[in-house]
Amino acid sequence: MSEETKQVMVTVTIDGQEKLVPQGSNLIEAARQANITIPHYCYHKHLSIAGNCRMCQVKIEGQPKLTIACNTTVTEGMKVSTHHTSAEVAEAQRATLEFLLINHPLDCTVCDQAGQCKLQDYFYQYDIQPSRFTEHKEHKMKATPLGPEVIYDAERCIVCTRCVRFCKEVTKSAELGVFQRGDRSYIGVVQGAELNNPLSGTVADLCPVGALTHRRWRFNTRIWNTTITSTVCAGCSNGCNCEVAVRDNQVVQVKGKLTSQGNKGWMCDEGRYGFMRFEPERRLAKPMRWNGSTYELVKSEQIVTAIKTALFALKANSKAALFLSPYLTKEELAAALDYAQKAFQLAATSEQISLSPRPRAVSELEAILIASDYAPNIQAACALNMVEQSSDWRTGLNERYLRLLKEVKDGKYAAVCIIGDYAINADQIDAALVVAVRGAEFSLQLGVREDEVLGSEELAKGTPAIAKFVLPALTVNERSGIFINRLGREQKIKQLLTAPDEAKSEADWLKSLAE
Amino acid sequence: MSLENLKAAEDKLAQIVKRYPNKRSALMPALYLGQEAVGYVSAEVISWVATKIGVSSAEVKEVATFYTMYQQKPVGKYHLQVCRTLSCHLAGAKPLVNFLKEKLAVDAHQVTADGLFSYEEVECLGSCGTGPVVQINDVYFERMDSEKLASLLERIKTELPDLRYSTLKDELGVGLADMPRSQLVNLKEGKHGAS
Amino acid sequence: MAHHKILTENVHYADQHEIGRYEERGGYQAIRRILNSDPLSIMEEVKTSGLRGRGGAGFPTGMKWSFVPRNTGKPIYLLCNADESEPGTFKDRLLLERDSHLLLEGMMIAAYALGSHWTAIYIRGEYAHPAACLAKAINEAYQRGYLGQGIFGSDYGLDIVLHRGAGAYICGEETGLIESLEGYRGQPRLKPPFPAVVGLYDCPTVVNNVETLAALPWIIKNGAAAYAQIGTEKSKGTKLMSVSGHVKNPGVYEIDLGYPLLDFINNECGGVREGHSLKAVIAGGSSVPVLRADELAGVLLDYESLKTAGTMLGSGGMIVLDDSTDMVEVVANLQHFYSHESCGQCTPCREGGHWVEKVVKRIYEGQGFPTDLMLLDSVCSQIAGHTICPFGDALVTPVLSFIKKFRNEFDEKIMAALDRHLV
Repeated sequence: MSEETKQVMVTVTIDGQEKLVPQGSNLIEAARQANITIPHYCYHKHLSIAGNCRMCQVKIEGQPKLTIACNTTVTEGMKVSTHHTSAEVAEAQRATLEFLLINHPLDCTVCDQAGQCKLQDYFYQYDIQPSRFTEHKEHKMKATPLGPEVIYDAERCIVCTRCVRFCKEVTKSAELGVFQRGDRSYIGVVQGAELNNPLSGTVADLCPVGALTHRRWRFNTRIWNTTITSTVCAGCSNGCNCEVAVRDNQVVQVKGKLTSQGNKGWMCDEGRYGFMRFEPERRLAKPMRWNGSTYELVKSEQIVTAIKTALFALKANSKAALFLSPYLTKEELAAALDYAQKAFQLAATSEQISLSPRPRAVSELEAILIASDYAPNIQAACALNMVEQSSDWRTGLNERYLRLLKEVKDGKYAAVCIIGDYAINADQIDAALVVAVRGAEFSLQLGVREDEVLGSEELAKGTPAIAKFVLPALTVNERSGIFINRLGREQKIKQLLTAPDEAKSEADWLKSLAE
Repeated sequence: MSLENLKAAEDKLAQIVKRYPNKRSALMPALYLGQEAVGYVSAEVISWVATKIGVSSAEVKEVATFYTMYQQKPVGKYHLQVCRTLSCHLAGAKPLVNFLKEKLAVDAHQVTADGLFSYEEVECLGSCGTGPVVQINDVYFERMDSEKLASLLERIKTELPDLRYSTLKDELGVGLADMPRSQLVNLKEGKHGAS
Repeated sequence: MAHHKILTENVHYADQHEIGRYEERGGYQAIRRILNSDPLSIMEEVKTSGLRGRGGAGFPTGMKWSFVPRNTGKPIYLLCNADESEPGTFKDRLLLERDSHLLLEGMMIAAYALGSHWTAIYIRGEYAHPAACLAKAINEAYQRGYLGQGIFGSDYGLDIVLHRGAGAYICGEETGLIESLEGYRGQPRLKPPFPAVVGLYDCPTVVNNVETLAALPWIIKNGAAAYAQIGTEKSKGTKLMSVSGHVKNPGVYEIDLGYPLLDFINNECGGVREGHSLKAVIAGGSSVPVLRADELAGVLLDYESLKTAGTMLGSGGMIVLDDSTDMVEVVANLQHFYSHESCGQCTPCREGGHWVEKVVKRIYEGQGFPTDLMLLDSVCSQIAGHTICPFGDALVTPVLSFIKKFRNEFDEKIMAALDRHLV
């Protein structure tokens, strides 16, 4: 039985529709189940109820005054009219919008929130008439940085306190406060402090208007000129749901996505702002082959033949080591294991196939969203039977990775395959490893980086090209497929960016190599 | 100097905290203690209160800026607060403000060059029957007019009386010698004279 | 007419605030008498007396107490609302300064009836002198064993803590008061839940006004029946009226409820100033609708009669206006008060309140437009009833009632402005 069916249900009538909803739901959530959106600003499913915006007022039969839906728990037989069926509610909503806009600067033309702003959206839906406010607007501070990532415009702020509640209730760091009172109220940090917790960018997502925006994405683009894709953050194995806006093959905005489970719409700064970290500055666009002193570009058809020939030339029973990228999808991992079987007769459980969990220390605050398994799809190793499920399977995998790396350096393997970017951590690559890999009888690498010089700053961003044969594969942002998060939930990551023509997914390359 | 004063307030705050079932309730008294020590609620006071109560500085500032009696910037040694709400307005509050503006030659919320005076208009002080009222620091001076206020300013300048409510001592300063601390009377009875 | 002196019997003694004098004049007898009785019987007694909340709402006190669940395992808190800040109201100040122990005894009775062992007096920050008087009185009571563990030698323990506000009208609203006492911004809470069930520190809580609590010793000493005989059928007992504005004798008066309003102004308060005639009366604090002089005949000072007349007894803060008063100026003054005191938490009050203030100010300054009154009516109707707390209703009342009652004065200002616009 699923969670929902176990719950006690009550019948409510919303705009004439009878609906069974779980007991204890508030009216906004109950209406959602009847496909009725009750407009709101301050309400957020995963924050405390503030009830201050007054946008979600509804009429409940038997109650003399309008009631806010967010603070109303459904009861059996409750009859509710929303703005769709009650003129009184519609008028109250219109008035609320008029109130919210009287001191608003109406600077949509220069506001990053335009196009994704609840003030704009609701105005067009519920008001759409000229303001009757002819007085002078109150002026407040503009463009005030609150921290490294978030900037605040007090004139656009509707003091819904979502951001303040987030910092008090979720991160519990309480950097933000509502200062002053009445129409002089604004959000701020105290002198000498800043909003710099590991989830700080989330407050800009939570802001229903253009008061809080992401500093690094300011004035980048209009949101309607982008393509927005719902996907999963590959920053760690938490697998946060998010929506990514792309323009000109560049990620221009990442927002947490409110889903029924998981990250509740929150995102950590590391994941959110880290989307582009997977993209190398110089992208490997064509296959390369090491000629003993440098890499030379080779056509795709030729290199596949050359690799097959080299593999064929390998003595029978030559020992092979395979390093798989933690950023491969479940499908790609399966293809890699298939290749290991066909090319080297290695079973999935083989100690010669490595997938690093990339363990990471996380602080108490980071632990809200950041998993200590940094590798986003490490659970797929279990799903594909690479390891036996035990309490210390991660340690086992990590030890296997380190041992294999050392053995490769010691020249124990005739064949080395590095499948996917980050298959070997850049900081673990040294001259000895490069010599060993290039010196092996057979070495194949699928990746995205053309770097060959050690010590460059780019190194930190992924695995540089070190094998004899290097094939252009995909960055995380270019692939789609299944990632299994730390809780074992299968989620689909979607392609955000377009890869260069000759770049193909690891699975595609390996399939043609195994033919 | 201010830091030393804050230290003196720490013992008192510890006593105050004990009065409440919940430590956070001591936040407002702590702000009073801080203001008493430093003269206004400075960034230093906010951070002191935050540490003592165990909340973030932003949470303290939220409270400090909500209430009008926590001064957010330095005020004069004697801060005059003229009630502007209806009853006092009807009784002649506005001329008092104009008088202060002219006499002190500063705008509201500014401090005179000698550091002695500042003033502002405030809302109803609960002295409606004895208006207009001027609250100087924590003492009410009722049934004011410009002449009385002028002589009051002169006396304050020379006598430098203590007109503050001390949270440290739970006491109101002794004030000016012959001035009643309250002029609230029930005129009907006649005998309800000033205390 | 002779009025009963239930609250003000001793306020004229300059030494009444001393615990010894208070006791000599019969103080601390009522609490001593009830300490062995059933707390529920005290609650019944208060119900029978018909005592109603004197802070403004006029809700029956005994019934308010009966909403408190006694079996939750949580402590029950009694809070005294001494945040007196409704413009025109200064009655509690009289008791706080003059007869501090009367309030303390009232609190002891209420706390005992409720089963509360920790109580607080939330006094507005500006009331420094009353606070000093109370602090001294509380100290005296502790020294005599009237507060603390086992008060008056009983096994009932009680603490009273004095908590000073710091300048915020909204803390007179009971959930704003609770928030403030907990150390937060004094922003009223969403209801439900109500404080009787989820109040201070999420525990059952009763908030009573100073005047309400101060009536309890008399009720205990003289019996509920005696109290119920005073006043009218539904408005029992006495009420403190604080009178200001254009009367000869402003001040605090204790009257039997049901006393004719005009008699009160003319006989008790000395009538309006010489050479002037009565124009209007705000009967119960600035947040109640104004009454024109011609509407006052036959109106009695009690909850029901004032309701029938279209206004409220409220806090008893009466502001009398004579014929010299510019009604637009009055509204402009009051709207400044309300927009200054809006806590800013919810949209209609934060934004709408300031909008109303600006329009009224513009009319007063001769910049009004004929559409302004319609605009005010529309804006006010969208503030009232749409806010978290009753402040929204309070802020629109002066505007709407003054425009309704003195429409001509607003029209004149606007027409004069219109003439100027045309030139």
